Amino acid sequence: MRTPLKQRLAAGAGILVLLLLPQLVQERYFLHIAVMAGIYTILTLSWNLLAGYTGQLNLGHAAFFGIGAYTSALVAIKLGISAWFGLLAGGLLAAFSGFLLGFPALRLSGPYLAITTIGFAEILRLVAINWVDLTRGSLGLSGVPLLSPISLGTWTIKFYYERDYYYVVLAAVLMTFFCIRCLTHSEFGVSLQALRDDEPGAQSIGINTSRYKLTVFTLSAFFAGIAGALFAHFARLVSPDTLSLHVTFDTLTMTMIGGLGTIAGPILGAVALTFLSEWLRALEDFFKMDVRLVLYGLLLILTILFMREGLVGLVRGITERFGSLPRSRNLGGDHD
Amino acid sequence: MESLFLQQTLNGLIIGSIYSLIAIGLTMIFGVMKISNFAHGDYAMVGAYTAVFLMAWIPGWMGWVGSVIAAAAVVGILGIVTERLVFRPLLNRWTDIDMIMVSIGLFILLENLAQLFFGATPRMISDPFRSATVSLGDISTSMLRLLCLVFSCLAIGVLQVFLNRSKLGIAIRATSQNRYAAQLMGIDISLIYIITFSVGAALAGVGGVLYGTIFAVHPLMGAMPTLKAFVVTILGGMGNLRGAIFGGFILGVAESLGGNYLAMEYQHAIGFCIIILVLLLRPSGLFSKRESA
Repeated sequence: MRTPLKQRLAAGAGILVLLLLPQLVQERYFLHIAVMAGIYTILTLSWNLLAGYTGQLNLGHAAFFGIGAYTSALVAIKLGISAWFGLLAGGLLAAFSGFLLGFPALRLSGPYLAITTIGFAEILRLVAINWVDLTRGSLGLSGVPLLSPISLGTWTIKFYYERDYYYVVLAAVLMTFFCIRCLTHSEFGVSLQALRDDEPGAQSIGINTSRYKLTVFTLSAFFAGIAGALFAHFARLVSPDTLSLHVTFDTLTMTMIGGLGTIAGPILGAVALTFLSEWLRALEDFFKMDVRLVLYGLLLILTILFMREGLVGLVRGITERFGSLPRSRNLGGDHD
Repeated sequence: MESLFLQQTLNGLIIGSIYSLIAIGLTMIFGVMKISNFAHGDYAMVGAYTAVFLMAWIPGWMGWVGSVIAAAAVVGILGIVTERLVFRPLLNRWTDIDMIMVSIGLFILLENLAQLFFGATPRMISDPFRSATVSLGDISTSMLRLLCLVFSCLAIGVLQVFLNRSKLGIAIRATSQNRYAAQLMGIDISLIYIITFSVGAALAGVGGVLYGTIFAVHPLMGAMPTLKAFVVTILGGMGNLRGAIFGGFILGVAESLGGNYLAMEYQHAIGFCIIILVLLLRPSGLFSKRESA
């Protein structure tokens, strides 16, 4: 499928703006939030690949995030080799665990899959808390090294400021985005949707559903692992909280509010909610209470009840009403 | 050695009875309405807070018994409200994923509303027996824990009688088996849904008081009963009441013995390991009659 020129231009312009953003807004606090939004975007995109395109409700996404974070941090701390290898190792180990988790998940769906995947993440969390020699238990691994500098001839790129991480995370987001977009716009993606909507039907026309599910589980886990590894080197602290249910629930809420099963939805949701919750944190002093998560819960419920298509559906509805864009217009690349 | 084993078994049975109580509500709601409610443990949390506030007002065992009843009432009403506002609009969409996700939304909402209103500090439900203990041979337990066991068994018994003997209970079971047939027999499905949901939630509320009596009461306590209740329902087969009762006791004893003989720190992982095995080997639960596929 070829992308229309107009859309390519829009995507190009979007990427350009994202590249220039740190030059336009130099405030470090803003860039910090932007990096977190990017990490969440990778999480939501990868979760959406499973839940949105295959209909597999994985509630153990935090497990992959945590595996990525711990692996990358431990590789850098214990082995002392470049953090970039740790990043890759984190992604690969997460992918491997996703592959393993994919096997029992093949036979399960709905609440059974949900509880099995939660169980997987919870078991790992208990391991992280109790294997004190390796993980330092509930204290977490602190002082995770920064990403090591890259030297190109005489020119050395150091990774120290938020701005540097912004570019690393942006690259990771774009990589994830294009991988998933290519995947879902190919025959593979169509097969996935067939599998989601009618599994026996998909099987009957010769789609090997088991292989598809395993592949998607592995890929989804890989990206989540990368997100975790990036988080480890950015936050420089990895605690068992990275494996907690709340990471999964945040991811889920963002994806749903953005729009499940679309490519723009997870991005929109992650960015909007990350910035919104930071903004609400500023209001906290005013209201003297933390309304952030109350709002998350409320928004999640309202989205499912009244706006099942999420923000993407809302945007699509508005553009349709004013008739400027045809319905088939894909809201791909131009939102971040 | 043997007395330790018996002691741990008793402890397991006490915790297990609470698990059963909470899980029965969950499995009932799933059986009748096909809702997997991840906010179920939060009903237990609300029940526990009801008890905390009532006990502050009426101390002693009168207050404790009163708070069990009050918790059932408060949470029953909360159940009706949430069913009406959150779950009912989705019932006709029939997608598992939406239902689970909306319940997760409710979970996040209730948990954080509780944190907002009740504060994050853990509270205790005061012991009406002033830590009196009962011993039988080598094993001993506190009066309070024994009362929990008695109370949850009583609640399970009353529920069994209600479901097996009363006309309404039979209607609930009929709806659980086949809602279309039940509708054709003139059963008001809408009413049955509300009653089931409210009774299921109320059971969780009572379970929450007992749970909070043994452990502590805090806004985030709901996650644990939710997960345990799901483990129990999957163990017994979702929608299977008898399975949930036995499943609760099995989980309680397995955790207690496993925590003692294997590893205390992995006590909470035991349930998950069991269900992963159960789902791999016998996906319809331990207590299902083998049905024709």
